[in-house]
Amino acid sequence: MIVEGSHTFPGPRGVVWKMLLDPDVLAKTMPGASTITRVADDRYEGKMKVGVGPITAAEFEVTITLSDPVPPERYRMLIEGRGRFGFTRGNAAVTLAEDGAGTAMHYQADLQIGGKIAAVGQRLLDTVSKMMLRQGLEAMTREMERRLAEGTA
Amino acid sequence: MTGQRTIGVTVNGTRHERAVEPRLLLSDFLRHDLGLTGTHVGCEHGVCGACTVLLDGEAVRSCLVFAVQADGRAVDTVEGLAVSGVLHPLQQAFHQAHALQCGFCTPGILMTLVPFLREHPHAGEREIREALSGNLCRCTGYANIVAAVERLVQGAGELGSWGAGELEGQGADAPRGAAT
Amino acid sequence: MSAGRYVGQRVLRLEDAKLLTGRALFVDDVQLPGMLHVAFLRSDEAHATLRGIDASAARARPGVVAVYTAPDLGDYWRPGPLLVPPPPIPGLVFNTATQVPLARDKVRHCGEPLAMVVAESRYLAEDALEDIVVDLDPLPAVTGLEAALATGAPLVHEQFGSNLAAQVRQATGDYAAARAAAHRIIARRFHYDRGASAAIENRGVVAQWDERVDELTVWDTTQAPIPIRNGLAAMLGLRESQVRVIAPFIGGGFGPKIMMFYPEEVLLPWAAIRLGRPLKWIEDRRESFYATTQERGQIHDAELAVAKDGKILGVRDVFLHDTGAYDPYGLTVPINSQCTLLGPYVVPSYESEFTAVFTNKPIVTPVRGAGRQHGVFVMERLLDFAARELDLDRVEIRRRNYIPPDTFPYDHRILFQDFRPLIYDSGDYPAALEKAAEMIGYERFVREEQPRQRRAGRHVGLGIVSYIEGTGIGPYEGARVTVEPSGSVRLATGVGTQGQGHFTTFAQVVAEVLGVDVERVQVSTGDTREFGWGTGTFASRGAVVAGSACHAAAVKVREKIVTLAAEELECAPGDLELVCGRVRVKGSPEHGLSLGELAVKANPLRGAVTPGTEPGLEATAYFGPDRGNAASGVHAMIVEVDPETAQVEIKRYVVVHDCGTVINPMVVEAQVQGGVAHGIGNAFYEQLIFDESGQLMNASFMDYLLPTALDVPTVELAHIETPSPLNPLGTKGVGEAGAIPTGAAFAQAVEDALSGTGVEITEIPLSPGRLFELMAGSQGAGEPGSQGAGDSRSRRDGA
Repeated sequence: MIVEGSHTFPGPRGVVWKMLLDPDVLAKTMPGASTITRVADDRYEGKMKVGVGPITAAEFEVTITLSDPVPPERYRMLIEGRGRFGFTRGNAAVTLAEDGAGTAMHYQADLQIGGKIAAVGQRLLDTVSKMMLRQGLEAMTREMERRLAEGTA
Repeated sequence: MTGQRTIGVTVNGTRHERAVEPRLLLSDFLRHDLGLTGTHVGCEHGVCGACTVLLDGEAVRSCLVFAVQADGRAVDTVEGLAVSGVLHPLQQAFHQAHALQCGFCTPGILMTLVPFLREHPHAGEREIREALSGNLCRCTGYANIVAAVERLVQGAGELGSWGAGELEGQGADAPRGAAT
Repeated sequence: MSAGRYVGQRVLRLEDAKLLTGRALFVDDVQLPGMLHVAFLRSDEAHATLRGIDASAARARPGVVAVYTAPDLGDYWRPGPLLVPPPPIPGLVFNTATQVPLARDKVRHCGEPLAMVVAESRYLAEDALEDIVVDLDPLPAVTGLEAALATGAPLVHEQFGSNLAAQVRQATGDYAAARAAAHRIIARRFHYDRGASAAIENRGVVAQWDERVDELTVWDTTQAPIPIRNGLAAMLGLRESQVRVIAPFIGGGFGPKIMMFYPEEVLLPWAAIRLGRPLKWIEDRRESFYATTQERGQIHDAELAVAKDGKILGVRDVFLHDTGAYDPYGLTVPINSQCTLLGPYVVPSYESEFTAVFTNKPIVTPVRGAGRQHGVFVMERLLDFAARELDLDRVEIRRRNYIPPDTFPYDHRILFQDFRPLIYDSGDYPAALEKAAEMIGYERFVREEQPRQRRAGRHVGLGIVSYIEGTGIGPYEGARVTVEPSGSVRLATGVGTQGQGHFTTFAQVVAEVLGVDVERVQVSTGDTREFGWGTGTFASRGAVVAGSACHAAAVKVREKIVTLAAEELECAPGDLELVCGRVRVKGSPEHGLSLGELAVKANPLRGAVTPGTEPGLEATAYFGPDRGNAASGVHAMIVEVDPETAQVEIKRYVVVHDCGTVINPMVVEAQVQGGVAHGIGNAFYEQLIFDESGQLMNASFMDYLLPTALDVPTVELAHIETPSPLNPLGTKGVGEAGAIPTGAAFAQAVEDALSGTGVEITEIPLSPGRLFELMAGSQGAGEPGSQGAGDSRSRRDGA
């Protein structure tokens, strides 16, 4: 499954970079995320719940490994998720470009989905992944707006 | 997960009380707890229709209903259709029209058609096919099932004798039997 | 056997009452005291190295009785048997890799079992599956047939050095000469994709070890209980007489319930003996999409060398066959494709070569039609394209190429799946074609109806195709007929039954011979305790082979009846007749005995019997045909295609069918109707969709669509009977027939409906989505009268 898209954040690139790599921000903004911990400089572990069609609230243990980071421009991620309803794994690339006062983010992920979630949730996977990503980015944007307003960004 | 709840369900006119897990499916309750294995399970996700039973007279997929949801209600299964060894007119029509082959989907189809024919005693081919479209059959190609129902609908005398709710007489509205 | 009181009659089924009232016993209905329930942990990966399994948490869960992984099986772990060895074709290459009970070192397809949990309930067993920790290291997967054969492709089985499972070439005549002499060469690439057998009853096994009598009883959703008994006895180190396999009522077979020795079939009996408690496993629907075998993935590069008058000079076909991760069923499917391609036609030269390919997908074994679909599709499509290029009528090109009715037996000079020469026994193909054309109103449709509809903006089309189905193969079946003192007749045979009506048709054969009411014949099938010799229900052979054995046994009993009655009634055997359950003197009906009375006399309690005689009115007989026989037919359908949505509606469906002598027309017609429904599913609705990592993406009935009552028309059917000389009944098989030519008819009809748009159909299934793509792709490619893309490809060299 290819997930690709763009999103514009209302703040400077350095702030976006920092927030995207902040486990607390990620845990707060990614839908279904219960915990996200940075276990090494380039490595995050977390738990996420995902609902896809007939499978409600499948819990995944997710590991994200960062690679080729070029702050504050781009980084790559190796994503591995595993749970009782299946697995996902793949690569993602994120680039950040200055866009006036804001930051334009472009992301592209190539994810392989397996197990029950692929077998019986296929029709909905695309929609669900897009929806979750949109919710996550919107939540992060709100968080950024809050921080910018509070001057804590 | 393993907490038990006691439920009382009237099945084919006989009341049964059992302690069940909340997650127990009605299909498994009928088959395993009550030994009524005429209700078959084909997909466990509500598509094939093999497990169709009547819940308070309406067709439901028993694989999508928890046994606890049937508490205090009436269930009719294929075992309740024939009375004293005499086939229900719908069963008879299926036999006459060769409307079954392996027979695995048949109980669910019968239980789908019983309330349908009660409400559509003069159904035409298109309506019959629509009514059947929620039940999968891999053997027959449906033609003889449709023919069986058409035969029954056209034989008005036969239909008149049971279309008015004979089944309910044996099931939902019947005097409650002793708890077993 | 000619029509009589029962044979050839529409006898209503004797098995219906049980099935209609919910009293029939299916495997899942077996309830035994102390029974435990089994669930299997299956691989989420299509291809991976298995590094380890930790089942300790599952074992500790309350209610769990045992958990087994491959190492726990000890010596019992071994790959399953090769069920069908390759036929003796010169130069044949065959690499055997059969499925294993539980994966040990690596997994080769999604759903391959990794561990077996035994618990007090199925609910608990499934809970425990989640406690098991599996360390699978994913490997790149192969799913595409051509990609699998490419250099450097990941290997499903390392020991072979490639993914080649088999390579077989069969040829007859001089194709090169035919090609050189041809007026046109019609060459195309054809695709046929995978579907599920999708019996509404999933598979299931119940196993019980009775230590009081040292006997194992296995209830199994199998089409072949006797081979399963024999195999289990050998694997478990038991005598065959210690193992009883019962195939009770089976909720549809369609091929994959054959004697597969599926992991579950092999493991439950083993564990039941170890644990000393009965075990039950019932497949759920999602499991079925992985754990039950599938069929139909092939890619053909075929060409037809044709003369100016439309006569076939030769055919060359090179194809790839997807055998999935293992090939336990040998080459039956691709050899069927190879042989069935020849159809009812005179094909003076034929070159056919196939390569079977291992992929990281579930195992392929026969599913209703068993490879025959592909052959029919390729040949019929080639003829359609040839007709178009030669400006010949579709019906006419077939007519010109049929094997004439006076040339039987007709030898195609290649080997069939039963290792016997492909020789057709009987048939009248022109008659079937004329009948079908007349029934569907071919001439009127082509000349009037279609142009009129087209002027009104409606896209209607007609398809009309022929096929042969090789049926009724050996080796043999048997039957035992017993007249009981009650006068009822007991008939036991070894084949399993999955809805074909055997309880009735076999009874008809016996009732006819013995002159008893058909209701008095009680049939037992599929219980090795009742009858222990035979192979099973497959290859459309039940009525032909087992039916003939029933006939032979009944004839022997009849001889016993007549011999004994002649003594009792003091008359010549030739003066006796069997009528209404009595044997009586012709012309003197009051002078006779009931068969029940005679059965008592045949089993005396005192006194001497004549040396050399046997007690009772009982006989066992066997029948093995010399070779398979050739059922045949013509399917014709009219469709309407909505050019906006690519939805196809089937308006009419006509079948003219020849299965030789018809024992019960009602049953035969219903078999054909059901087969057509299956064929329509294959053609338009059903496709197993795998992603490139081998994940099945539509493993539920929500996404894998079976045709419903709204999708399948009522077939208009006519019979032609050319009795087979190969068995005493004169019958040929019918079980798979309906499903075989449907794709070819559908493709021709849809293409006809879209004529002028340039759409050319060379693939099945053809979902609305795919048809829409084809229509969009050909937009502007052809104006009415043009052949569009077809022209440019038709002269290219073949594969």
